[in-house]
Amino acid sequence: MKTEASGGPTLVIPCSGIGKVHGLISREATYEIVDRLAPDTTDTLCLALLVTGDEEALAKVRSHSCITIDGCPKACSQKNVEMAGGQVTEAVRVVDAFKNHRGAQPGTATKLSEEGWTIVHEIADETARAIRGETTGGDTQDAQ
Amino acid sequence: MGKRFAILPCNGLDKAYGPLSREVALAIAEHTESEIICPVLLNNLQARYEKTLSGLPLLVVDGCQTRCATKLANKLGIKIDQKIMVSEAAKEAGTTLDKSLRLGPATLKLAEEIVAGFLDGFEKKATTADSSAEFDAPVEFITVTHDKYVFKIPIEGYLFNENDCWVRVVGGRARVGLSDYMQQNLTDITYFEPPEVGRVIEQFDELGAVESAKAATSPISPVSGKIVAVNSALVNSPGTINEDPYGKGWIAEIELADFESERELLLDGSAYAETLKKKVADL
Repeated sequence: MKTEASGGPTLVIPCSGIGKVHGLISREATYEIVDRLAPDTTDTLCLALLVTGDEEALAKVRSHSCITIDGCPKACSQKNVEMAGGQVTEAVRVVDAFKNHRGAQPGTATKLSEEGWTIVHEIADETARAIRGETTGGDTQDAQ
Repeated sequence: MGKRFAILPCNGLDKAYGPLSREVALAIAEHTESEIICPVLLNNLQARYEKTLSGLPLLVVDGCQTRCATKLANKLGIKIDQKIMVSEAAKEAGTTLDKSLRLGPATLKLAEEIVAGFLDGFEKKATTADSSAEFDAPVEFITVTHDKYVFKIPIEGYLFNENDCWVRVVGGRARVGLSDYMQQNLTDITYFEPPEVGRVIEQFDELGAVESAKAATSPISPVSGKIVAVNSALVNSPGTINEDPYGKGWIAEIELADFESERELLLDGSAYAETLKKKVADL
């Protein structure tokens, strides 16, 4: 568990994303950001904890900046974080990243292809830069 | 194996057991051609899975003790048919996961073992469910009625404590479980934690834990002795207690320590029926 200094780490919250390759990309991009690209300034949170009303998780999203990474346009992560009272500063959509990879074969819900990993790295790099304040987050959108 | 499921895993993200539960769920789905249910989407849009859930039995796969998948199913009123708790399975396998959220070779191997165990256990359960000849299920019952509820009590062979638990003794060994009244009172049982095999207990000690959407409780042992077996099938299928409380829903087997003196504190079927009538009349 990371130390929560003033403001604490930014929470990077992917959608559950099980059963679809887009969801797997969202999850892997989150791990890449939290584990490798920005381990000191980010943390992640299990979305199901918000869905089931876990008090600790609810308090956490309400007191930290949140970046959501959604696999598909249903935007489950963004919607649930906002419904929980969290502030979504960046809402990343995996489907948007595919606009630069038309016809890509990213793999399956259980295993990413090389193209799939390329998309993961792109989303993770872009989001990490946004967290560092270097860009506006590429394919992301401002929630407010 | 033939049987397909609607598989509801926990979200499985930020603790080591989460990604393992996801891996297990996906592997079972592949092996059985079952359908995966996204827990968050299910919460947001239950209608999306209406057809799947009405046509297939639900298997929930939880990672940690928070048991989000089970909680979600309970919250939405979806009946759980089978259940896997991967942290328990890891414990049984003697495996401790490291803190990494990415699955390493050892964790992937564990996932394979859990999946194989589930599939194998399910097949065995389907073929050997009636194999316990020593503790045959009862055939004749007394009934106690209250409003629309009918509570069954075996006429012979079973003794009860006032905590609504039964014991059936064969030789120096006893099998214990919950009464029909207890299981109906709890409603759909969604969680079973078995007592520890090898533990020596006193009469009226607690025997593991059961939990339903309505309540959590610990069965109270009618007898003392050493726990020599537990019904581990209930961990994955706790609803068996509801379906067959006096048969396949047994909880533990105990090597008896002092049954002759303890039986004085127990009730036979008729006496328990009288006690139960008073109990339900006060509801």
